[in-house]
Amino acid sequence: MESSVQPQSQATESAYRSFILQNGDGDRIIALRQQMEQLNTIGKRFVSANDRFQVHRALLATLQELYSFSACSILLKGEPFELSIIPRYPLTSSFLQAMVQSIARAANVVDFPGVSAQELAVVADLDAPDDLASPSGEFPSVATKIGDFLNIPLTVESRIIGILSLFDEHEGTFDTDLLQLTTMIADYAAVALENVRLRERERALWEEAEHERHRLELIISSMAEGLLITNAQGAITSLNSSARHLFALVEVDLQQMPPISLHQLAGTTRVNWLLDFAEIVDQALAGNIVMHKELIAGTNNETVPLTLSISAAPLHDANQTITRPIGVVAVINDITSIKQIEKLKDEFVSIVSHELRTPLTAIKGYTQHLIRRIERRLREVRQKQQSTGTLVEFPESYDLRSLNIVQSETEHLERLVSDLLDLSRVQWGELGLQYSSFYLADVLTERVRLAQVSAEQQAILLDIQTQDSRIVADQLRVGQILGNILDNAIKFSLPGKQVTVKLQEQDEEYLISVIDQGIGVSPESFDHIFERFYRIRNIASRQYSGIGMGLFVAKAIVEAHGGHINFSSNQGGGSTFYFTLPRVPRTSKLVM
Amino acid sequence: MHMPKMSNNSSSAYNGKVVESYLKAIQLIDDRVTPFLGKATTRALVQGAARRVSNQYSFLQFLEKMPYTEVVPAVITEQWGSISPQELSEGLQALLQECFVGLRELTGELIGPPLLDEVTRQLEQMP
Repeated sequence: MESSVQPQSQATESAYRSFILQNGDGDRIIALRQQMEQLNTIGKRFVSANDRFQVHRALLATLQELYSFSACSILLKGEPFELSIIPRYPLTSSFLQAMVQSIARAANVVDFPGVSAQELAVVADLDAPDDLASPSGEFPSVATKIGDFLNIPLTVESRIIGILSLFDEHEGTFDTDLLQLTTMIADYAAVALENVRLRERERALWEEAEHERHRLELIISSMAEGLLITNAQGAITSLNSSARHLFALVEVDLQQMPPISLHQLAGTTRVNWLLDFAEIVDQALAGNIVMHKELIAGTNNETVPLTLSISAAPLHDANQTITRPIGVVAVINDITSIKQIEKLKDEFVSIVSHELRTPLTAIKGYTQHLIRRIERRLREVRQKQQSTGTLVEFPESYDLRSLNIVQSETEHLERLVSDLLDLSRVQWGELGLQYSSFYLADVLTERVRLAQVSAEQQAILLDIQTQDSRIVADQLRVGQILGNILDNAIKFSLPGKQVTVKLQEQDEEYLISVIDQGIGVSPESFDHIFERFYRIRNIASRQYSGIGMGLFVAKAIVEAHGGHINFSSNQGGGSTFYFTLPRVPRTSKLVM
Repeated sequence: MHMPKMSNNSSSAYNGKVVESYLKAIQLIDDRVTPFLGKATTRALVQGAARRVSNQYSFLQFLEKMPYTEVVPAVITEQWGSISPQELSEGLQALLQECFVGLRELTGELIGPPLLDEVTRQLEQMP
């Protein structure tokens, strides 16, 4: 019998025996030692098995030492089942068929998913020992009929994972002692097979993870967007080729540098935007998500400098054991071409607006001239009628009303053109406020008066509540803010409703509110309402006119004054747009 | 395989005693088989037997998932309270027979026949 624990030498063995005999109970201890050696040998065989074929070899070797049998087999649960038949010597096909039928019946009597002999015959694999191999693949028939068998479930932690079966052509081969021994060996085999299964599963998972990692690397490397990953200290740990290319455009070669924090990089390379980038990474490291932050990476003397849009998000530990981000993933987009298109569009809009302004000025001037002439004429006629005591409606009064509408619409059109002109000014930071001291209430009242005609056309009632309010600001621009907000309030109100303009003083600033009873702002518009060219579409199947510039320009003017603008939904419908203006400018750059 | 039939008693209170007798018989099989095949195998044998007889005796279906050792009086009342003693006795007898059929498929004639004799004797001694 094979044993892996052998005495070092004959001398050691005899010394051991004499020690045992001197101490009594020698035979029992020697027998125990032999049993332990045998168990140790069996254990080592199974533990060292790296795949199921080695487990089969270990099983065959161990069972052969105990008794003689024709063949054994191992059926394992799984999708599909795996059945390995290990013959000790050649078997006939009828013997094999009987084996498979016996295994199928055994599988069906224990808690095993239903399986038929036909199914098992399909998946059965003959794992013959090497000494059975024959070049022709044919063996002489020896075992023809099953005389005795054992089907022993393979269990791991009270879970049946398969069945070990033993077959012999002779009757009465197996007894209860052999059954007990075989069950013990089956336990070894079950653990070894489970270990093999776990190792195979581990290997498969590892290969799958490697495949996924490789796929992800390919995706990242082929991304048009730059992708950059930092560690918890803000040092760049990896970046794709697009990001490397973007850095190379501003002569930062990250390939030649060790992992370095963006702050250090900004200091060593003197690239200004890197500092802004480092701050974005800092924000993400603080747990915030930064979306589409634009950075000018080119030089100002370029027509359209290299412009990057950066989004960054904190990276968290996959196990969630560390609450602090372990790094940042940033996506960098080169949006220079978009900026070029925007610039072209702004220039086009600016040119068209200028061209529209000239005829508009003429229309407005001549309309005002006609209004004054008709008003003068009507005054004269009414004076004459009052002196004669006859009151007749003069036809020019209808003309005056029409001309007032023309004037109101012209002013509306003028504001639209102004907004378009302001677009490029806002885009390039050239709003150029002209500060002066004036009464805010007067400007607001005048704007409400100008909107009166448009409101009357839609049967909207305009109301204004003001108070003494001296302010230093750009008078025209402040009027423009209210005009744009009022236009919207009237446009989105239904006939018969009211729009109220309210002026309040609070601390060092004024709060101007425009309260309407209109359709309100839908939640999907909340984040976009102040964006340029944003228009509310198809509300209640109705199309509203406008180019989506009013609130964008209003916001830019308010913020240029150091105020802020926002809106809220009113209970019972409608919305309130409000903005604040400091009583005196907060900046020192005044153009008086 | 011949098994002695429990005497028929129409009292529903008798159900508990019938179940107790058969559970003891199964426990005896468990005790005798475990040294040879292990505890998990014996439990699987009973569950496999329940699966095969539950077509005919649907009230035994729950034993496919629940180990017989967890069949306590509360479970007997819940699962078998409405079953007649006759039907219950027949069903449990069929279950026992299937356990022996299973044992035969695993170990042939090695441990089944002497154990069957022992179980038969035990059931005959039951009141």
